[in-house]
Amino acid sequence: MAWAGMNWGLFKIIYRHTGEIGLDSGWHEHEFFIFLGTIWIINSLIQTLFMANAAEFSELIRTGNLDFALLKPIDTQFLISFPRINWSQLPNGILGVVLIAHSLRELMGEREIYFSVFSIPAFLFFIGCGAVVMYSVMICLASTSIWFGRNQNLYNFWFYITNFYRYPMEIYQRSGVGMALWGTFTFVVPILVVSNIPARILAQPLGTPWKPWEWGLAAYAIIGSIWSLMASRWVFKRALKSYRSASS
Amino acid sequence: MVIWKTSKPNSSRLLVADKPFYNPAMPTIEIKNLSKTYRVYQKQEGLIASVRGLFHREYREVHAVNDINLTVEEGEFVAFLGPNGAGKTTTLKLLSGVINPDQGSVKVLGHVPWERENEYRRKFALVMGQKNQLWWDLPAMESFRLNQHIYCVPKEEFERTRDELCEMLNVTNLLGRPVRELSLGERMKMELIAALIHKPDVLFLDEPTIGLDVVAQHKIQEFLKAYQQEQNNTILLTSHYMKDIEALCKRVVIIANGSIYHDGSLEDIVDQFSGDKIVTLQFHDDRSLEAISNIPNLIEIDAPKIKFRVNRDEVGRVLSQILSEHAVDDIVVEDPPLEEVISNVFSQAEAKGRREAEPLSKSR
Repeated sequence: MAWAGMNWGLFKIIYRHTGEIGLDSGWHEHEFFIFLGTIWIINSLIQTLFMANAAEFSELIRTGNLDFALLKPIDTQFLISFPRINWSQLPNGILGVVLIAHSLRELMGEREIYFSVFSIPAFLFFIGCGAVVMYSVMICLASTSIWFGRNQNLYNFWFYITNFYRYPMEIYQRSGVGMALWGTFTFVVPILVVSNIPARILAQPLGTPWKPWEWGLAAYAIIGSIWSLMASRWVFKRALKSYRSASS
Repeated sequence: MVIWKTSKPNSSRLLVADKPFYNPAMPTIEIKNLSKTYRVYQKQEGLIASVRGLFHREYREVHAVNDINLTVEEGEFVAFLGPNGAGKTTTLKLLSGVINPDQGSVKVLGHVPWERENEYRRKFALVMGQKNQLWWDLPAMESFRLNQHIYCVPKEEFERTRDELCEMLNVTNLLGRPVRELSLGERMKMELIAALIHKPDVLFLDEPTIGLDVVAQHKIQEFLKAYQQEQNNTILLTSHYMKDIEALCKRVVIIANGSIYHDGSLEDIVDQFSGDKIVTLQFHDDRSLEAISNIPNLIEIDAPKIKFRVNRDEVGRVLSQILSEHAVDDIVVEDPPLEEVISNVFSQAEAKGRREAEPLSKSR
């Protein structure tokens, strides 16, 4: 909560100095806060549902207790992904919803926002895609514990990666390095797409109707979610092959 | 959205009466040339060695399981015996598909364990005495329920099995107590029940009686014996307690340094590895006792008794000689204690292993 407050405060300050992030990108203050709210929702979903479980998975590997999960006649990835729900992470998501609602209202006072019956389901669907991609990233990170034996950097890694998906993609498209980052986090690990699409659905920074490339990106978000889920599945299976168990 | 394939539980296969689908002529467990080698990082003591370890790592190859061949038929109760680090647990882990081997093939009930087919995983159970698979903070009952759902056991059957098992192990009144508040013995009983909820055809028990007191050990032995007789399932057991093995297993496989050193009955082992008998004589008077007190291989004198060791083939000759010269009240001829025999076997096996051991292999 405090972190969310600081986050919000920081961008509030930044928008004292500038009208929009990225020239002609359309990410003005309210649009951006919709984006921020979206990120909070995805983050809180991940942290509520998967974060503790992924950390637990690393611990199972280290102690050799993964043995028991492997014995069960049920999909192992399913078994280790969902045993625990960390409710304490949910309030940030609710805060995200509040922030989005407030910013949308402000935005509607300023200009016309296209809103249909499909907007909310579409938004939720792409939030779901976001959760899928972030879940995949997390499973891959946690699986590496099988090779390294110990992985206490899971939370750190998580922080680094989420650092890149917390901003509108336009901010990367100015320099060579930025483009490289943008390419990596769009096509290799599609985390940028899944944070940008749901936010664009509500904030419509470039107005409506969407530009063709925005539609393309939305389609790609779906493909990217499927592809990252499959990739994480593959990594998980590969990792299990190398599982050595622990002394007993 | 479910992207990956989840196999649907096939309820018909879960009925107890339904024997596993495999050729009955095939042995239940068939192990051929099974090997598993671990590469273990060797680190010297201290900070400098730690830094060096970042650039140049030395590894040692540990042959945890080394070319094992073994066949177990349905309904057999086999003990794995061996010193610590002999490869018993690794073998059980390979058989239950937890780890993948480097070489060799294994078929259990017609399945390759490390392919981890759900069908196979519904047919066996692994109990590890040193690990805990029950939810620590919840009553054992909750863990049983979870297993019921994971193994798709019908409700009535689950309740029947649970009640039977709880009664046999005498733990019905403990079902509602959080696992962390159970004693080790009670917890072990619960672990067994959790593993048996789905009536496995094959059961792997890794030191199920470790750390238990004599009473609890005995209870678990009795239970396993009765359970195996009732269900006629195939059980592989590792244990360091000779009592367990004496009570339960007709067949004993001795593993040392990852290889099978002996496979046969307990009597075989005693015959083969202990050349001596222990003779206890009780004399009528002290003069006789003194007369033979200088006998070779004397163990102890506790007047009017004397205890000594005689080579198996010599027992008859030695005894008849003593009997012809002295008045003897009582004679006991027995095998040396099993622990002693086994410890001899272990040291022989270890010595053999050391001779054959490869020199340290270093790699970058």
